[in-house]
Amino acid sequence: MAEKPLAADGLSPQQLLDLYRKMVIIRRADQEALNLQRQGELGLWGQFLGQEATQVGATVAMESTDWIVPSYREFGMAMCRGIDPGEMLGYFRGLTHGPWDPRRYRFLPFTISVATQVPHAVGFAMGCRLDGSREVVLCVFGDGATSEGDWHEAMNFAGVFQAPVVFLCQNNQWAISVPLRRQTAGSIAERAQGYGFAGVRIDGNDVLAVFSAVRSAADRARRGEGPSLIEAVTYRMGAHTSADDPTRYRLDSDLAPWSSRDPIETYAAWLRSQALLDEGQADSIDAEAEGMAEAMRGKLRRLPLPSPAASLFDRVYHDPPASFLKEREEFEATLEPVE
Amino acid sequence: MAERTFVLPDLGEGLTEAQLVRWRVEPGARVEVNAPLCEVETAKAVVVIPSPWAGTVRTVHGRPGESIPVGAALVTIAAADEAGAQPEGEAVLVGYGSRTPGPGEVRRRPRSSASPSASTEEGVRAAPFVRQLARELGVDLTAVAGSGPGGRITRADVEAAARPDDRPGPPPQAPEADHDGDQRISVVGIRKAIARQMMRSVSTIPQFTEFAVFDATALMAARDAARHKGRPITPLPYFILAAVEAVRRHPLLNSSWDESRDEIVVKKSVHVGIAVNTPNGLLVPVLRDADQLSLEAIAERSSRLIEGARGGSLSPRDMSGSTITVTNVGASGPIETGTPIVNPPECCVIGFGAIRLRPMVVDSQVMARQSAWISISVDHRIVDGGLATEFLTALVGELEAIRA
Amino acid sequence: MSAVTLGKAITQGLRDALAADAKVLVFGEDVGRLGGVFRITDGLQRDFGEDRVFDTPLAESAIIGIAVGLALRGFRAVPEIQFDGFIYPAFEQIVSHVAKYENRSGLPLPITIRVPFGGNIGAIEHHSESPEAYFAHTAGLKVVAPARPSDAYGLLRTAIAGDDPVIFFEPKARYYLKEEMDLPVPPLPLGRARVAREGTAVTVVAYGPMVETALRAAEAAAEEGTSVEVIDLRSLAPLDVETLVTSVRKTHRAVVVHEAPVFCGFGAEVAARLSHDAFDSLEAPVIRLGGLNVPYPPSRFEKLYLPDADRILQAVDESVAYG
Repeated sequence: MAEKPLAADGLSPQQLLDLYRKMVIIRRADQEALNLQRQGELGLWGQFLGQEATQVGATVAMESTDWIVPSYREFGMAMCRGIDPGEMLGYFRGLTHGPWDPRRYRFLPFTISVATQVPHAVGFAMGCRLDGSREVVLCVFGDGATSEGDWHEAMNFAGVFQAPVVFLCQNNQWAISVPLRRQTAGSIAERAQGYGFAGVRIDGNDVLAVFSAVRSAADRARRGEGPSLIEAVTYRMGAHTSADDPTRYRLDSDLAPWSSRDPIETYAAWLRSQALLDEGQADSIDAEAEGMAEAMRGKLRRLPLPSPAASLFDRVYHDPPASFLKEREEFEATLEPVE
Repeated sequence: MAERTFVLPDLGEGLTEAQLVRWRVEPGARVEVNAPLCEVETAKAVVVIPSPWAGTVRTVHGRPGESIPVGAALVTIAAADEAGAQPEGEAVLVGYGSRTPGPGEVRRRPRSSASPSASTEEGVRAAPFVRQLARELGVDLTAVAGSGPGGRITRADVEAAARPDDRPGPPPQAPEADHDGDQRISVVGIRKAIARQMMRSVSTIPQFTEFAVFDATALMAARDAARHKGRPITPLPYFILAAVEAVRRHPLLNSSWDESRDEIVVKKSVHVGIAVNTPNGLLVPVLRDADQLSLEAIAERSSRLIEGARGGSLSPRDMSGSTITVTNVGASGPIETGTPIVNPPECCVIGFGAIRLRPMVVDSQVMARQSAWISISVDHRIVDGGLATEFLTALVGELEAIRA
Repeated sequence: MSAVTLGKAITQGLRDALAADAKVLVFGEDVGRLGGVFRITDGLQRDFGEDRVFDTPLAESAIIGIAVGLALRGFRAVPEIQFDGFIYPAFEQIVSHVAKYENRSGLPLPITIRVPFGGNIGAIEHHSESPEAYFAHTAGLKVVAPARPSDAYGLLRTAIAGDDPVIFFEPKARYYLKEEMDLPVPPLPLGRARVAREGTAVTVVAYGPMVETALRAAEAAAEEGTSVEVIDLRSLAPLDVETLVTSVRKTHRAVVVHEAPVFCGFGAEVAARLSHDAFDSLEAPVIRLGGLNVPYPPSRFEKLYLPDADRILQAVDESVAYG
């Protein structure tokens, strides 16, 4: 296991504060999304509570021209990339499978089937390499994904083709109800060796450690030195999704050690110790977060219902066959407005 | 201040209800958005439900321990401002499982009377079954005008156009030129249906007729007796009763030929069709379960049926299901008898002639006796001459043995 | 004009596609150095380089997965699945992602997945499958199966140049089928069947390896005085219903044949469409021919399993005898 990277890494006070700000904002969004689900505005919500440091640290460490290939829990990362949270929630409201333009934000759609995005990320990165560009791909997945065949195949491809990928495992210790010790007998970080590249395990609740590790890995990939694997150890403080009841498989007392390592609180304490965060700034950030939550709520509830024919038929083929267009017409003819 | 009611959402992918554990607010309480309202327990978890709106709690619906269905009212809140209120036109909240479209949305058009599919097919339009039938009946489809949607040729069209197999029909000709003074009578409705039924009979049933004369003296005596008792009665009920009795002895006459399964279906029930001349044409109302009825009942019901047929007031049930038919042949005038046509899908039709005085030989003497002709036409596939004779003989016997 | 085999027509199609667009990539197991187990990609790595024509590890799911990534990146991916029976590990990537990515993202996914398919080559297990129905049934995919060299070339060029994913089924038993032609032939639009042989009494519908068989059956039928029309579908999804209906309006009878098992096979779609769209034209029910509803047998028995010209003729007879 590599040494924990040095903190601070040449970030300015503004940048250091901004890491805190981003974490606070995305946590507030996460909480608001849960409330919205409880209020019936969303069909489902999967909290990323407790994983803010990994999501923020990693996203900020990548360049804006880099690409991020998420699984389905990286809502915080999407927000850091500038995607509007209210619009994003359309996904969980049953309105759309793809609420943002992947090319605009360089952020691929959420992938529900575990680990299937990892080969996509590798292929994409191989393409970047073929293009001779500097772009790097950050591929994000959880601990459960490392058991899937697709994950191993993709890691192997990445090693063989020296794909410029940063593989980031958000090891939040749980795959729904299955704890890490039942997910794998080995080490996630050490698997990289088997595929011909380096792997590190870091404290996923230390935003600076995450930033540092991801930045280093991205730089390596950018220099043409191939992929890396980062296992960021964190904890899923919430349920797998709003349809899950964690009390059935873990005790509240299990969470206690992780509460004391809360990524936002520990970072805030460090910032204060460095005189980089005062009350005024903290309050201002909290207020900003509240404003974001209110705006997110309002936007979500005003999301228009897309036309059914368009939603169902428009994004199936790039060149729809005539017979397909006829089916669309026939379908539209069967619709009438509900009084 | 708008009062809005927050209903219980589906909290976990298809739940149908939740049990209220406890309230965290009471009527009158002021709440902000996301303030905890209550705790509910679902099949999956205990969940705290946050308020969707800011305002004052008006009503809490449900008591701790009560089970609340998804979609039922949970809390009514007087919303503090319009910004916190439900946006206009917003449909039903989304967390209630799979939802049906609400106002302002679209849905699939409900089933309605189907407009016939406008087919662009050229040439003869007829379903495979209809073509098969046309082949069987020797019908040239190109000469048939289809009465189905869009000019499709239906089975009825083919049956109507059918020519009998055993009569060499005239070759299809061009329609005749109209001659001066010729009258063209439109054939629709009942007349058309009768025509179809007649065609079906003569083209599918090989039938022959046997004749007999019976001595109606006893029948007329019984009629007189009934009339004197204040219950006038026509001969028809006696005919029907006798027919029923004869059928009891020769049930094969109360049957049907099932082409599709190569079987003769001997009917258990005896439903007698009574041929009636009406202003609209020949109708055959049906006297059901005639074998269960007394003479009086037969008389009463048959006369109701005849009246109803003439008046056009009978139901479809009254008009269908006969297993054997009786008809008048020569009810008046000099007509003695005739050859009735079997009423498909039956096996036998019995024609009764008018009762009048005729010369008959009784005890070697020629005498004038009340008598009448009976003619039965039968399906030769089911009944041969011998059986027909037996049946007719039985019929005559019954009629001649009537007691007052 | 020269005689070109179907295999060579595909090779030429790949070559011309690689030359026409620098974004075209050809990859899969053994396609680079070896030139493919059927030599379909022979010479391409030598001429276009290892960056554009490359060998992959033995991992079908990842082969298709990285094709998704490459296509998203802007390349035109032409991955090969070495044999039909090995497409199944990639099934999830194909139906969950290749088929759905456009729907999810609005982004085009120019991927052409080449798969040799079908039996009748005396092979061992898993090398003689006909899985086309699973993919024709999946919305978002286009599925084609050429039967002759010129169509293989034309369809391949169109598939690679198009922005939608295409599963390109190559009838491996016909790789050596020859056709007199000059390449290149024009790209062939998807969704167009062709009348391979005109006839009047019965329409026989086929695709891929069965087209040749159907044509031989039609020749034999002609000698017996029955005029059989053979339709080569070429494209399964989208399906050219118009050509089928036009034919059945003329002949009033149809037989559809494929190697895949009859039960729930692609022939069921053809039969159902004809029953619906040409109902009034039919004088006999549509007859389906295909493999038995059993796993593909050991090669000694494949001739008993697969439809052949004789069975097609039998079906034609049955259809005509219907009355």
